[in-house]
Amino acid sequence: MWILLGIVFAAVPLVAATSRIYVTNRGGTTISVIDPATNKVVEEIKGIESPEVVRFSPDGSRLYIANRSVDVLYVMDRKSGKYIKKVPLSGWANDAMVTNDGKLIVVCIRNTGTEALDVGALDIIDAKSLEKIKSIPVRRGLHDVSLTADGKFAAAGSPPGQSITVFDLQKMEIAWEVQYDQGVLPLIVESNPDGSGHRIFAQLNRTNGFSVVDFATHKEVQRIVNPDEPKGFGPGCEGISHGIGIAPDHKTLWTNSRPANAVFAYSLPDLKLLGHVSLPETPVPGKAPRGGGPAWITFAPDSRTVYVSTCGTKSVSAIDVEAMKEITRIPVGEMPDRISTLVLP
Amino acid sequence: MISRVLPKIISACFAVAAAILLCVFAPFGTAQTAGSPGAHAPQLDYEFFKTRVEPIFLKSRSEDHARCYVCHQVMRHGGGPLSLEMLPAGASFWTEEQSRHNFEVVSKLVVPGDPSLSLFLRMPLAPEAGGLADTHQGGRQFASEDDPDWQNMKAWVLGQKAGGSSAP
Repeated sequence: MWILLGIVFAAVPLVAATSRIYVTNRGGTTISVIDPATNKVVEEIKGIESPEVVRFSPDGSRLYIANRSVDVLYVMDRKSGKYIKKVPLSGWANDAMVTNDGKLIVVCIRNTGTEALDVGALDIIDAKSLEKIKSIPVRRGLHDVSLTADGKFAAAGSPPGQSITVFDLQKMEIAWEVQYDQGVLPLIVESNPDGSGHRIFAQLNRTNGFSVVDFATHKEVQRIVNPDEPKGFGPGCEGISHGIGIAPDHKTLWTNSRPANAVFAYSLPDLKLLGHVSLPETPVPGKAPRGGGPAWITFAPDSRTVYVSTCGTKSVSAIDVEAMKEITRIPVGEMPDRISTLVLP
Repeated sequence: MISRVLPKIISACFAVAAAILLCVFAPFGTAQTAGSPGAHAPQLDYEFFKTRVEPIFLKSRSEDHARCYVCHQVMRHGGGPLSLEMLPAGASFWTEEQSRHNFEVVSKLVVPGDPSLSLFLRMPLAPEAGGLADTHQGGRQFASEDDPDWQNMKAWVLGQKAGGSSAP
């Protein structure tokens, strides 16, 4: 038993030392890279105007970077920082994900520019050839995407379409949709132990909380509203709930709230409220502070630390899960946005 | 009509920002205009806008600032309040017709003669300098009112003419 514990504790620094947190600074041209072992920025990738998201090949050798300025997916060698390829996309990319086997990169397109309305698409890129092999059109622009652990399905939310579209990545077609009466913002898929989809947790632009969709029945089964307290902050730079994530140990769901200027933690699978952590405020000289505008969420691989990018304060908050408090505020670039964890093998 | 819902989101944010702006700056605005708004409001000058303001939208100002155009071009901005015309393919500046349309669009975000009430000036200005850039998806484009580009934008709001004089 003690030997086992010793191995576990010895492994913790190793886990922390072999991961990185990538933060896109969408108001600028840089990507900040944080070492979770020190909670300091250890690298800055420059020269990508308005970066949207960074994702990774499973071996950590490649970065896949979507941005707002040009309609391409940058494929970068992580160590050298050199571009391997710029893959043409169907339009302006928002979010992207990589299947766990590393074979496919899916990119949600916010606007293809093909019609007056912002028509969206899910672009599918073969990670070996780095060619776009399919673009599945959808009625309206897509904002965020999440995958089942088995890589068979992708769920993407649309703010203008007020919908979640679930794509079958084997057939490369739309599988089913869920329609709402409000826009869909960040979402996350919860998978079953076998990797198949179980639930989707989706944030809606007029709900201080999130919707729960059952993967089997394709229906919304629950809508969780965050507590009324804390309160008093505005919607910040975008919708009122704009960041949601499942910890790697699958025990907790974290969802932020701009009216509360806080991140709320819920237990999984039962979705019981565990508490909240208040997030940084934006000081305004001579006035009451405003909410910091918490945005996307990611985690340290050991699930002990939650990272929340806070767009109004140019910082990332590192939150200790056990203590339920912010332990460090890490300065990054302008308007920090999507945030992702790279685990190096 | 680019989008039916995204503009609502943007407009909602815009409305919140406008409300903040009014609450925060109304006293100063009243003091500065010293009378009913618009009573002595200057005319916004198109030529000044085209030569001194519009280029700022396309300017790479530093690594901590994406160009305004990246987010505010109409295909990226979903019909939000400051949606700029798409540059013609291969062009580095707007056509005359497009510039006039941009002038109309941006003029709606300005209270002529009153920088403190002009969202166009306050939205990209850092909160530390009295602006609302923490609620701006493009962030703090201007750290202070001393920024030369911000000064140009202010001069336009105050009615400065392309020839150098200000109005009225």
